[in-house]
Formats: sequence, structure tokens, C-alpha cells
Amino acid sequence: MTAERAGPLLRALRRPAVLPKLDLKQWETLIREARRSNLLSRVAFDVDALRLSAQVPQQPRAHLEAARVQALAQAAAVRREIAFIDQALRPLGVPVVLLKGAAYLISGLSAARGRLFSDVDILVARAVLADVESALMRNGWASFKTTPYDQRYYRKWMHELPPLRHHTRQTVLDVHHAILPTTARLKPDSAKLLAASRSIPGEPRLRVLAPVDMVLHSATHLFCNEDVGNSLRDLVDLDGLLREFAARDGSFAQLTARAHELDLARPLYYALRYAVRILGTPVPAAVLRNVERAGPPSWLSGLMDALFMHTLDPAHEQESHGLATLARGSLYVRAHWLRMPPLLLARHLITKGLRREQAVG
Amino acid sequence: MQHSSAPRWRSVPPHAVAWREWGGEFVVRNERTGSSHLLGPLAGRVLCILLAASGPLEAAEIAAKLDDSGQIGMIAEALAEFHRLGLAELESQ
Amino acid sequence: MIVRDCAPEALRQRLADGGVRIRTGPVVNSIRSRSQKVMDGLALHYAEYPVEDEAGFADFHIAVAPPRSPRRWLRPQIVFQFDGAVPFFPLPADQAFAMLEWGLNWCVSFHCHQYLIVHAAGVEKAGRALLLPGAPGSGKSTLCAGLASRGWRLLSDELTLLDFAVGRVVPLPRPVSLKNASIEVIRSFDRDATLSPPVHDTAKGSVAHMRAPRESVRRASEQARPRWIVVPKYAAGVQTRLEPLSKARAFMHLADHAFNYDVHGRRGFELLADVVTGCECFEFEYSALDEAVAVFEALAAKA
Repeated sequence: MTAERAGPLLRALRRPAVLPKLDLKQWETLIREARRSNLLSRVAFDVDALRLSAQVPQQPRAHLEAARVQALAQAAAVRREIAFIDQALRPLGVPVVLLKGAAYLISGLSAARGRLFSDVDILVARAVLADVESALMRNGWASFKTTPYDQRYYRKWMHELPPLRHHTRQTVLDVHHAILPTTARLKPDSAKLLAASRSIPGEPRLRVLAPVDMVLHSATHLFCNEDVGNSLRDLVDLDGLLREFAARDGSFAQLTARAHELDLARPLYYALRYAVRILGTPVPAAVLRNVERAGPPSWLSGLMDALFMHTLDPAHEQESHGLATLARGSLYVRAHWLRMPPLLLARHLITKGLRREQAVG
Repeated sequence: MQHSSAPRWRSVPPHAVAWREWGGEFVVRNERTGSSHLLGPLAGRVLCILLAASGPLEAAEIAAKLDDSGQIGMIAEALAEFHRLGLAELESQ
Repeated sequence: MIVRDCAPEALRQRLADGGVRIRTGPVVNSIRSRSQKVMDGLALHYAEYPVEDEAGFADFHIAVAPPRSPRRWLRPQIVFQFDGAVPFFPLPADQAFAMLEWGLNWCVSFHCHQYLIVHAAGVEKAGRALLLPGAPGSGKSTLCAGLASRGWRLLSDELTLLDFAVGRVVPLPRPVSLKNASIEVIRSFDRDATLSPPVHDTAKGSVAHMRAPRESVRRASEQARPRWIVVPKYAAGVQTRLEPLSKARAFMHLADHAFNYDVHGRRGFELLADVVTGCECFEFEYSALDEAVAVFEALAAKA
């Protein structure tokens, strides 16, 4: 996908100043692309930040307003959730590290602007997992993946408890003890992540990953995660994090070194490659060269390019389903491949497929 | 030195609460929880007293402000309900 | 241009290809379908609605089409597509028009957060709006259809849109959805009412739609000031009874029945409180539609 062929959403993400130049038809396309990619509120915030609202025609402006209001409501809900989580886990006196959106929000990062949130994710040491789970359950959270298969899948193979839902607020909490499953081929050391975590000014008990680890986690989440539906949104997160950290001296130098240390060099390679090509993230050439060595063999890189560029291009959402579905399906398999041994993967996918059909039929 | 060991109550800060009153009944929205509630006349007035107070209050002090010490039992019930709903908390916390 | 002005073949062609853009109140829907039921439904119910140019802006792009599965041949089904995504399970193909209507409601209630959206019917007389918030089965749609048949302007049968700037109701006049016994009640009540043929065995029983009065469609851009909030309850054999309802309780009813109250936070609270402040509020029980309508006519005459 070249700059000329990029749809209005990508053009607006790369350079929000183009927004006033869009005609009504382009706005219509942008709204559709953005909605599908969960980025409509992000566009709304960009419009507000640049004070361009008066230059947006009334019809698309209504959609931006709707998305903005939704994002604000979700941010307020996440802040509440964080307070409740803190309250529940405070007595344990253990480090609790917020991940992803909740972390960006509580840290006041630009990546949180206009972001839509779903679950809250936290990271704790594996040794305290049982205590954390008990404390949460005492405070109204309960596991909602209740089939024995799902429970086993999460507890034995994955890097997190089965998702917890709060019984009155209906909010979902994912408790991780690692950022990738124990069965994954890549092995980033959680103890190192926890050790490097930072506390948040004004929030003595809650922590977030060190800036460089936040970037690596975002890259890992994007390129190793089975939920590829939010890919462009995750890339936008990553772009935001990279830009914010680019301003800090030495951040990029640390990035490649830390990536190697945490066995995350390959996801970092993909992250930087696609952030640069799709969103035009400013990354020093030296860093790109450095990370090149961690890239896939050349026979694979063409295929990966095709898959990722296709999935990350919002313009493809509106075409016929064929290729997009195939691309997404392959990425889903790939993400799982990185996380589980082949036999387990086959068994898991078959079981998952069965239950979906049962629900529909 | 404290005069009594009665529990003292504090509401969530006024800026976190939106409320309206019509004919003695109140509706309240608590920003801390995101929830909205319908309060009867007594509960509503108790909440208003807590919101306006500069420090934590005991049930007896609230009754005095209401000019109605016969209601202490019901005031205590309202306070317990506020605690459950996240509208008020005990001072020791 | 309105739908009635389109030549049927041209309409069918546009429906099948790029989609027909029909304006309903503040929202422009681009509708694609090859279903005859959808075509018939549009011709019957949407004849008076504006058709917008393809070069303009459509708020929602939807399609009612067969699903991509073997079921498309066995017992024919259709799905509602929103920009390619499929938010609901498939339905039998003969329910295609009902599916379109439910889908159009979903588009608004799920996305139009520029408004506070209450699950309520709304009608208007002499510049004053009557809001009927209520759960399914409360009889609000029957009341709404009855009042619309007696000269009240239809604002909406399901989704009352409240505008933040001025606290008024933004009309969204669309076919009134009637279920089971209500269908016959309305047929008897108003011989001139235009109803689509009922579809049976839906999740809600039998469903038919009553065409929105032409005047309601024509005046869709006129907002209305809320004046009465009435919580209806239909029950067979009961006496018609209009009882005052405290504003605080009316507020809670509105908040309970608002789709996006939580999204609006404090602002939503203040808007509903302002609306309630300006309204007379009642609870209402009825079993006989003609008596019910008479009660509201009397209410409007007093105001």
C-alpha cells in the first residue's frame, strides 16, 4: 500500500492536517474505515486537538462527536476500574503493573487520546497469581470462561488467568503473569519486566512498564496476538508510543538492546517495519538497520508483508470478504503458532470452531 | 481526644455528585461509581448534609442538623446504604 | 426526490447495486438488498421518504442479504450487514423487512451518541411531545400507533432522540412495529392504517409494521419540546387509569430506558433532569385503545 493509494483514514492518521481538505465522499469513506478499525474516536480527538471542527461538514461531524463522547465515557470507566482494582489488591502489597490502554491512560500518554478501551490488563508475578485471583474474587470478580477446556487452556498454557468479569459492573479484567504464554517460542522474562516497572506519580501502588518495555509489549501484542481485528488500532498505539519516546534521548538505542535481552527482537522488527511503512513513524535509519538482522528469512518476509499490509489496510475492509478473511485467518493461525506447540494448536482451533457452530446452529 | 466512639461519615466529594430534587425525592449520580440512584426524602437530605459538611459527621450530628433526633436509626440505615452504594465512607478508612 | 418518484425498476437496480440512500429523520441510510420482501417493504412504507444523492453523505451502509453459508440454499436465510460486519444471527428470509427495521434501529441506538437515546415512543400535538418509555410488551407501540392514527405527529415508535443543545426531541419517524394482538387492534382502530402483511414465528411472535403518516415524515426536521412523560402498561381487562408519577421516579424510568445514558455521564444526567423538570409525568394503565387515546386527547386539550 503506497502513499498514493492510501485511503483517507491512513492519510489522516499520518497527517491530521489533511482533514479539512476532505470532501464529503472522502469523509464518508473515512468514517467507515475508522469505525471498522476502532479509530473513529482517535480521528475525533485529532480534529479537536488541531481545532478543525468548524471545517468538518455537519454530517460527518455528528459521527465524530458520537465517537468522542464514547471514548470519554470509556476513559472514565477505565479510571474507575483502576481505582477498584487498586482497592481490591492493595492489601496484598504486591506490585501490580497496568498494561496497554489502562497504562497509557493513567500515565497521560498521547497514545491514550481518543482511544477506545475494552478490558483492563494487569501483570503480576506468577508466584502471587493465586493470591491475586482470590483477592479479586472476594471483591466481586468471577471467571467467565467456564468450560473445563477453557479453564485448562488458560491456566496451563496461557500467560494469564481466564478473563474475569465483575458481577455488578460487568467490566472485564485480564490478569497476566507474562506477556506471552509459557508455550510460546519467544520467552520474554517477566521478572525483568516487573523489576524495571515504574510507579506512577500520584498513584503510589500502581505501576506501569518502563517506557522501553511498553513499546516492546505493544509490538509483541500486535504481532503475536490472536485478535487481529484491532491490528491497525494497535499499530496506532505503537506509533504514539514511539513518537513520545523518540523525544527522549537514548530511547531507541535502548530499544534494540532490550528487545534482544527479552527475546522480542522479531516482533520489534515487524513493529518498526510496519509502523514506518504504514503510518510513517519517524524511526532513525540506524535503528532500522540494527533490527533488520532480527527479521524473518527472505522466503518468509514476502508472505508476511502481504499478510500484514493487507490486514492493516482499512480500505480492504470494504471489499469482498475473500482475501481479507483469508489474510485474517492466516494471521490468527500465525499468532497462535507463536504461542502454542503445533499439536495443542490444532486441538485448540478445532474445539474453538466447534463451539461457535453450535452457538449459531 | 474523641468524645465518643461513634462512627463518623464522609460523603464522596461534592464535585463527584450530581443531584436534583423534586417534591422531596432526590436523584443522584455518583461519578466515582458511574451509578445513579433514587433517594427518598430522608436519605436525600442526609446526603445533602454530608455533601455540605466540612468534616466527617456522626449519625447523631446529622440528626441534629435535621432537627429530628428520633430518626437516628433510619439515618444510620441510610448511611449504611450509602456505604454499600459507594456514596459515603467511614472516616477511619 | 422521494422514494415514490423512483421508477420501480430503477429502485430495484439501485437497491441491488450500490444501494438506495433513504433519509429517516437526521440519518441517511444506504440500503442494499436483493430481497423481494425488502423491495416490497420499501415501496409500501418508505414511499414518502427522501432519497438522497449517491454523491452525498450516508451515515450508515447496510445490506440485507443471504449469509455466506450452505443455509442460503436449504431453508433460505438472510443476515443484516453493517459495513460488511454481521452483528446478528441470521433470520428466515421471509423476515427480511422486519430484519431491516431492527437493523436500522440498531444502527441508531448503537452509534448515534450525539444524542441521548431513550427506548421510548414519542408523538407530538400542538408543539408538545408525549414520551412513552417502556419495555417491550408495555403497549407503547400500540398506543403510539393509535395516537398517530388520530392526528398526533409520529416522532418515533422506538427511539426517542434527545438533543443536548436545546433539550428537544429530534424526530425519527419510521414504520411502527406492532406485535401479535396489537396488529388486529390497530387494524380495527383505524381502517385506513396501512399495515404490511404480518410475518409469523419471529422471536417476538407475529410482527407487522404500520406505515408512518405522511405528515410525520414530511415534518421530520421539526424538533418538539417534551411536555408529558407517560409510563404505559397494557394489561387485558384493566380500567383505563392515568396516575401522576413523581418526577424523580420518571427520571429513573427514563434513565433505565436510555440506551446510552452511561455514555453521556453527567451531561446525560443533567439533560434528563431538565427534560423531567419541564414535563408532567404519569403512569398509565389501559386495555382499551380508544379510551386510552381519549385520555391523551384530553391531556393535550388542557395544556
